[in-house]
Amino acid sequence: MRQKAGEKLFQVVLVVLLSLLCLTVLYPFVYMLAISLNEGADAAKGGVYLIPRTFTLINYEIVLGNEVIRHAYLVTIARTIVGTVAGLSVTLLVAFGLSYKGLPMRRTILGYILITMLFSGGLVPFYIQLNNLGLLNTFWVYILPGMFSVWNMFVMLKFIQGIPEALIESAELDGASPPRVLWQIVVPLSKPMLAALGLFTAVGHWNDWFAGAFFVSDQSLIPVQTFLQQLLSASDISAVLGSNTNQEALARSQMQNITLMSIKMAVVMASALPILCVYPFLQKYFVKGVLVGSVKG
Amino acid sequence: MFAKLYKHRWQYLMIFPGVLLLLLFSYIPMAGIQVAFRDFQIGSSIWSSPWVGMDNFAFLDEPQFWTVVKNTLYISVLKFVFGFPAPILLALMINEVAHSAFKRFVQSVSYLPHFFSWIVVAYILQSVLTIDGGLVNDWIAKAGGEPIFFLGSTEWFRPIVVGSGLWKETGWNTILYLAAFTTIDPQLYEAAKVEGAGRFARIRHITLPGIVPTISIVLILSIPSLIAVGMDQIYPLMNSANMAVADVLDTYVLRSGLQQGYFGMATAVGLLSSVISLALVLTTNQLSRKINGEGLW
Repeated sequence: MRQKAGEKLFQVVLVVLLSLLCLTVLYPFVYMLAISLNEGADAAKGGVYLIPRTFTLINYEIVLGNEVIRHAYLVTIARTIVGTVAGLSVTLLVAFGLSYKGLPMRRTILGYILITMLFSGGLVPFYIQLNNLGLLNTFWVYILPGMFSVWNMFVMLKFIQGIPEALIESAELDGASPPRVLWQIVVPLSKPMLAALGLFTAVGHWNDWFAGAFFVSDQSLIPVQTFLQQLLSASDISAVLGSNTNQEALARSQMQNITLMSIKMAVVMASALPILCVYPFLQKYFVKGVLVGSVKG
Repeated sequence: MFAKLYKHRWQYLMIFPGVLLLLLFSYIPMAGIQVAFRDFQIGSSIWSSPWVGMDNFAFLDEPQFWTVVKNTLYISVLKFVFGFPAPILLALMINEVAHSAFKRFVQSVSYLPHFFSWIVVAYILQSVLTIDGGLVNDWIAKAGGEPIFFLGSTEWFRPIVVGSGLWKETGWNTILYLAAFTTIDPQLYEAAKVEGAGRFARIRHITLPGIVPTISIVLILSIPSLIAVGMDQIYPLMNSANMAVADVLDTYVLRSGLQQGYFGMATAVGLLSSVISLALVLTTNQLSRKINGEGLW
């Protein structure tokens, strides 16, 4: 009986601690949402913790009415789609090619790939090479350099090697060529794996700000995260309001005392919301991907 | 020989894009390391720039470089000291939760921050810590204290980096441990219960030993990253006020190379850190061979 009470107390303490932890994860988003839905000047006085005190949508109207931001969204969406499809295709093709154990020079090619995980030329020679290839300041600088992920390839390779060989051999006996085997046997069987790797690649593209910040100078080519990075250290709102086409919102904003902080919160929420919305549905794929990748091959 | 190669033409065709991409974006930049020993200007060719011997390594005599090295090691060691045990502790806590729906909820919430970029994390920090109307300074003011300029202070920089790192990655890093728990034989727990072992005795004698292999793999894999402090995390938080403690090797290379145009010197710094990280990886591999009986590859 005493043990049962102790057990109950232990569970209560555990639940309280873990709930607090969840709160520290979730609360910043609630706070930022509240600030972004509050009038800027009012929020700056402090005290807006949970729900907006003077509710307004003006911050979002300004952000979504801004051409630079809308354009940055298009760039982000385009690079996420193109980058994920291209990256997944290359990774799958290489992994499938290397899954043939009898392939001449297989070990040499594996070594050639592995070395790149151990040593790199560093940032500056990489930058010089991007310059020599004419990739700086083009959309392709987001796609090509990261298109072949060695790590994902090894995860995929391990997965393909786990497919029963008899399946592939019997298809080959029926005269199926490697592309056919890939398309009709390997791809259908690797769907969960492809989903996991695809999601990781997509999140990587969605979140990348570095390439946009250092390999691109044309403002019409920067993705949302790079825009956010530039805005992070901005000292006045002209960075956002400069090219606003939404004149009416702009005129109202002068009266409503919007602040840099409230605008910032609206931009960052607009970039975080898509991830917050899809995350609950896709979480299981992410976890699956990590677990397959972690088992040593 | 040729017949054998021809027989595998499909496989080679599939592998080719990967090999080409690595050539372009990994191997040619490796050859570009010679910039460290040349007087290279952007726009000229690497191969025709004059050799300058070790001139580009003059930074080794500058105190600023050693400050940067110290900053890098300081942050990476701090991140390791807190970031390594935290997920183990959290995983143990999650594992003890009896209510399975709550358990799943905690897992989902704690993985979430992993999917946001460090830019978004920097915004969260800004909104919560800012001097005008930020949450924390709001409380400090209410308690009658002086506001603290967290984001522009040298004392607060390291705690902020470590804390935000914990916030973002602790939950995600529990995945491997939680998976390892499921491989522990439940009969062990039953037997321990019959023997009268309490909860903490069970954790110490069954749960922890059960995840020792996972702990050692994670430990080994984290050694090479000791030299590389995530530029992704540091750069958005760095400003002129906290530069003295925030400047790490990666940001130093970025600034002197891409922003100030000292290509030779920045390449030389990059080469140095690449060599050190290679040495760490190779040492780690030896270590892993000794401890686990097999290497990392």
